[in-house]
Amino acid sequence: MAAVGVNELHKDDLPWVIEYDETKCIRCGKCTAACSFGAIKPVVEERRKSGSIAQKPSFEKIVVIEQCVSHSNYCRGCGMCSYVCPNGAIKPVRNKDDRYSIRYRADKGESLKKGGRSNLNTEGRTLDKIKIGRISQMTDPSLDATRHTFELRTPFGRVLSADKLGLENSNGKLDLTSSLPPNRWIYPVIMGDMSIGAVSWRMWEAMAIATAYLNEVLGIPIRMCTGEGGIPVRLLKSKYVKYMILQIASGHFGWNRIIQAMPDMVEDPAGILIKIGQGAKPGDGGLLMANKVAKYVQEIRGVPKADLLSPPTHQGLYSIEESVQKMFLSMNAAFKFKVPVAIKVAASVTSVAVYNNLLRDPYNIVGGFFLDGLAGGTGAAHEISLNHTGHPITSKLRDCYLAAVHQGRQGEIPLFAGGGLGQTGSLAADAFKLICLGANGVFTGRLLLQIAGCIGNDLEKCNACNTGLCPAGIATQDMCLTKRLDIDKVAQNLVNYFVATDLELKKLMAPVGNSALPIGRSDALVTVDKHVAQRLDIQYVC
Amino acid sequence: MCRIGAIKSKKYLHPSVSLKLMRSQQKGHDNSGFAFVMQDLGGIFEDYKDLPTLSMAATVEGTRRAEDILHDLGFTRVLQWTPDVHNEKGLKIEPMPNYIFETFKYPKSHKYATKEEKEELLVETSLLLRKELEKDNIGYVYSFWPDVLTLKEIGCPKDIGTYFGLWEENDDLCAKVITAQCRQNTNYDIVRYAAHPFFLDGYTVLANGENTFYEKNKLFQQKLHKGYIGFESDSQCFLYTLHYIHKILKWPLEYFKHTITPLPFEEIERRQDKDVLLRIKASLGHLEINGPNSILAVMPDGKLLCVCDSKKLRPIVVGRDENMVIMTSEVTGVNDLMPRRNISQDIYPHEREMVIVDNDLTVRRWQQ
Amino acid sequence: METCKIKTLENNERMSTQQLLQTIYAKIEEGYTDFEIDACGQHNIGGSLWAREKGNKLTFKVTNPGQRVGSMAMAGTKILVEGSAPADVGWLNSGAEIVVKGDCGDTAAHCAAGGKIYVGGRVGTRSGALMKHDPKFNPPQFWVLKNTGSFSFEFMGGGIGVICGYGCDYMPSVMGERSCVGMVGGVIYFRGKIADVAPSVTVLPLDSEDMAFLDKGFDNFLKAIDKESLKQELTDYSQWKKIVPKPLNEREETFSVADFRRTNWVEGGIFGDFIEEDFRVYPLTTTGEGRLNKPIWNKETCIDCKICLNNCPQKAISECEKIYSSDDTKCIGCGICAAVCPRASWTMHSNIREIS
Repeated sequence: MAAVGVNELHKDDLPWVIEYDETKCIRCGKCTAACSFGAIKPVVEERRKSGSIAQKPSFEKIVVIEQCVSHSNYCRGCGMCSYVCPNGAIKPVRNKDDRYSIRYRADKGESLKKGGRSNLNTEGRTLDKIKIGRISQMTDPSLDATRHTFELRTPFGRVLSADKLGLENSNGKLDLTSSLPPNRWIYPVIMGDMSIGAVSWRMWEAMAIATAYLNEVLGIPIRMCTGEGGIPVRLLKSKYVKYMILQIASGHFGWNRIIQAMPDMVEDPAGILIKIGQGAKPGDGGLLMANKVAKYVQEIRGVPKADLLSPPTHQGLYSIEESVQKMFLSMNAAFKFKVPVAIKVAASVTSVAVYNNLLRDPYNIVGGFFLDGLAGGTGAAHEISLNHTGHPITSKLRDCYLAAVHQGRQGEIPLFAGGGLGQTGSLAADAFKLICLGANGVFTGRLLLQIAGCIGNDLEKCNACNTGLCPAGIATQDMCLTKRLDIDKVAQNLVNYFVATDLELKKLMAPVGNSALPIGRSDALVTVDKHVAQRLDIQYVC
Repeated sequence: MCRIGAIKSKKYLHPSVSLKLMRSQQKGHDNSGFAFVMQDLGGIFEDYKDLPTLSMAATVEGTRRAEDILHDLGFTRVLQWTPDVHNEKGLKIEPMPNYIFETFKYPKSHKYATKEEKEELLVETSLLLRKELEKDNIGYVYSFWPDVLTLKEIGCPKDIGTYFGLWEENDDLCAKVITAQCRQNTNYDIVRYAAHPFFLDGYTVLANGENTFYEKNKLFQQKLHKGYIGFESDSQCFLYTLHYIHKILKWPLEYFKHTITPLPFEEIERRQDKDVLLRIKASLGHLEINGPNSILAVMPDGKLLCVCDSKKLRPIVVGRDENMVIMTSEVTGVNDLMPRRNISQDIYPHEREMVIVDNDLTVRRWQQ
Repeated sequence: METCKIKTLENNERMSTQQLLQTIYAKIEEGYTDFEIDACGQHNIGGSLWAREKGNKLTFKVTNPGQRVGSMAMAGTKILVEGSAPADVGWLNSGAEIVVKGDCGDTAAHCAAGGKIYVGGRVGTRSGALMKHDPKFNPPQFWVLKNTGSFSFEFMGGGIGVICGYGCDYMPSVMGERSCVGMVGGVIYFRGKIADVAPSVTVLPLDSEDMAFLDKGFDNFLKAIDKESLKQELTDYSQWKKIVPKPLNEREETFSVADFRRTNWVEGGIFGDFIEEDFRVYPLTTTGEGRLNKPIWNKETCIDCKICLNNCPQKAISECEKIYSSDDTKCIGCGICAAVCPRASWTMHSNIREIS
């Protein structure tokens, strides 16, 4: 390799270095063929053959694998090279001396972008400090998770207080006398919320198939949120649209086709989610890099191939009242007030104020409040947003619930919490704890990708969703890469994970003796952290 | 777990029957207390059925303060009854200095008041009395209501019976509806207010159970009505929910069952009234109960009712003959009081059922 | 010896359970074998007792017992309750004959592993739960003239339940709701309608062995509860069925998600308007159109050194009259040809990777 100046990018600057054992390598070329980032390449190295200085030096040329050092091709640590190497001759190793985030900014004068979650998880997770500590022992019986019946459903949509239901007593039976805002009983986990474009068509379709299968075959009434990238007309016109929560975000992508399809829809969608913000990059709009804007994405979204930046805010909304009127009213009207309309915001210091405002909802059009915490994932974000903006989900969810309790209106606008759930592998544990703290349910996105085969993690591994070069065929629109993804296997894995989650939720409900969802049952939780106990108003234990 | 009982009779009964009803069920409680509520009173209270009777236990100071408050509000006393206490040696009881059972005339301002206005006044007044006496811990106000008498005490039920002379029958003190329970409290502090039966606004409730949705119930109920206070026992939640459904929302009684133990979704989906049931489940989800429970209640009009949790995890039985209906935890109590009844007429209420005893002792079984 | 009579209530003084049981133990030590107990809700009457003289039998006639009458009772013990008894009758019964002429409360025969429990009325919820059969002994029998409460025979592991449904024609189910959840062994005979049973059990008609067993059993049962006149009515076996657990291997075929996609899902996939989706899956290294990159040869610079030919790991490169070509069906796009070529005649290019 040619000598480089100190100001030039060097292998040692990169987050990952390739550890390569030339003696094991058989030069089969599989590693370089498999690397979607072009981060390694075969090169010819000239070497001196004999070691003795007494002899006239002789040289030989051999093929070796070399790591590329450039901002456009550098190793993300995905490890596909080691997956395909027959001899274990090559693998990426985390570079202790990494100074890439400095180098990139210094060289390019641009902000660094990446996908995945924040990689600055220094505080540990609050949810992991909470245990389900109120176990039914003698005071009341535990239940049997596999054999008893459990009611794992939660209301989605505006819930009116009992005195406002307009129920009238006719001969000892109550009858509904007025039309009420739409309300559906759904599984307490909502999946998806990732757009067509951010994820490959195969990934997206696999999620849709898994959703349909969970509902139709297993009777688990889970819902999938479409994300802000439109929805294929074929799905809109199918009966399965009833499991889909359509998203509208500031970019309003895909809504032309939704509106066009309305007369031909055989079912109403499950709901509409107005996305104001996202936990991973609060205050930022959606970001889809041009290399992922494939032709079909252009078509569904109605845009050319370009970096697609959704504005950070919905244009034309001046105030929270405006939001309620314009977004909630219009979205309710879109499906003739038959479909619940909810809103998603990034958790923030202001969330309680927002929720308090929404709770007043005199028009009964606010069908849910989704709070997205800072550990949520994204397909593409500026690293600065990803790592340094946002608010943890747990205390904010709790604050919102207690704000509702303070008003005596808990449950009227269902609360859903998300952002980094399942980060330690178990979605059920996180979901259960948040439900006890007051959530009606949770939502999850990033985890689904990991279930599907994403090898990225929160320790700087891969996180290259923004590049469109996803080696797993998930966060890409590249035909060759996407076809690495097996729709059936992914859908099956998703189904399996939710079957396991369903059982695990019951495994947590059973020992606390609850057959119905313990929404707000914070007395079931304890924590080994005094500050957490104080902040969340749960019992401190040691 | 505790043992509970309710008796409704055509003839006046002395409260000793409640001691006898609970006696054989002693193993199911811990002898930590005894409480009863008598309704539809006979004896010396018979002529004052329309006037409110105050039941309280207090110190001298507490008694004085309560009487001052009532006086200031314009209530005038028309009858006072004090039990003769028998402070025998060795009795396991922690008595209060005074037990007050006094009947009052309504204030002049309420001379032409409607029933609702009078009820409102009584609820307000009992809450005020409780608050005032609680301040200095000088007494406990159990009920202030027409035709209702409440006694609660800490100690061994048998000894409490002896202390108040309740074992000897007499005609002064009797009632047609008596509810009783033999345990001071479940899992929390021994507090007189925590003893069932609980009374509010004409409704009496007692329960044998463990309401594991206590926290949710409590947070929700606190904002529903000024009378939903205390929460010394998780079973108070049942009283407040019953009151809310029946008195505040004015829903038929059956919806109490639909609220506390909603049907599984699978079944709701198959029913004609599914829209109503799903709405109720959503709106009153925080009043749902979980955990093992059997619940007895006396309604303001004197009806009795009984319901269980959705898995029927606590015992309850209804026995009857032509003059009396008994609802209690264990059949042994019924056997003691009605040994010659037709046992095939006994009812073992199940998890989907509400048993209602009308004033003519007709027993109705309503299936959820 | 004469019958030992015990009254447990004098004036208002009630004998506690411990006092009563201690009295019984003492009397047994004295040689008493027959007891008449006028109880007032005392628990555990008749359990884990045996006569002083080996081989003698114990009998208990009890009125108004409390919970767990006959719990842990042994072979050689006979217990007769004239009226009704509360919860847990015959809990862990290991051989006694227990007769309750009235009703039983909840969890009757719970965990019974031997003996016979005869009930002349109804039994409460979770009755028959966790009954077991120890193969060294005869299986426990649990006979009920009328019906059970819900959740009956939960987690049953063995033994025999007989639910006669007498006078229960009006009931939607003689075994309440959700019976037999978690049942893994034993058999339950029932007469009349039942509601939902757990998916792990199966309902079958009786065979001749079943009928023979019931026929014989009815004589003892009906005699014990003084209802011999009912035999004819109850032994019309066309009204009977039995419940047994499904064998382990009888699991339902699962319908895979792939099957679901092929048969139920939107035909051609939801992106079928845009993409010709063949659902093929490429491995991480592949040939043909699935390659990330492909080599292109430049005739102008080639010196025909054959180094590429020798180094291509897929043997994809061939040469014919100094024209080199790479076989798309073999080449994986590794780039070795381009690396080794001294004249850069092979260069690597991105394959067409935009979906059409």
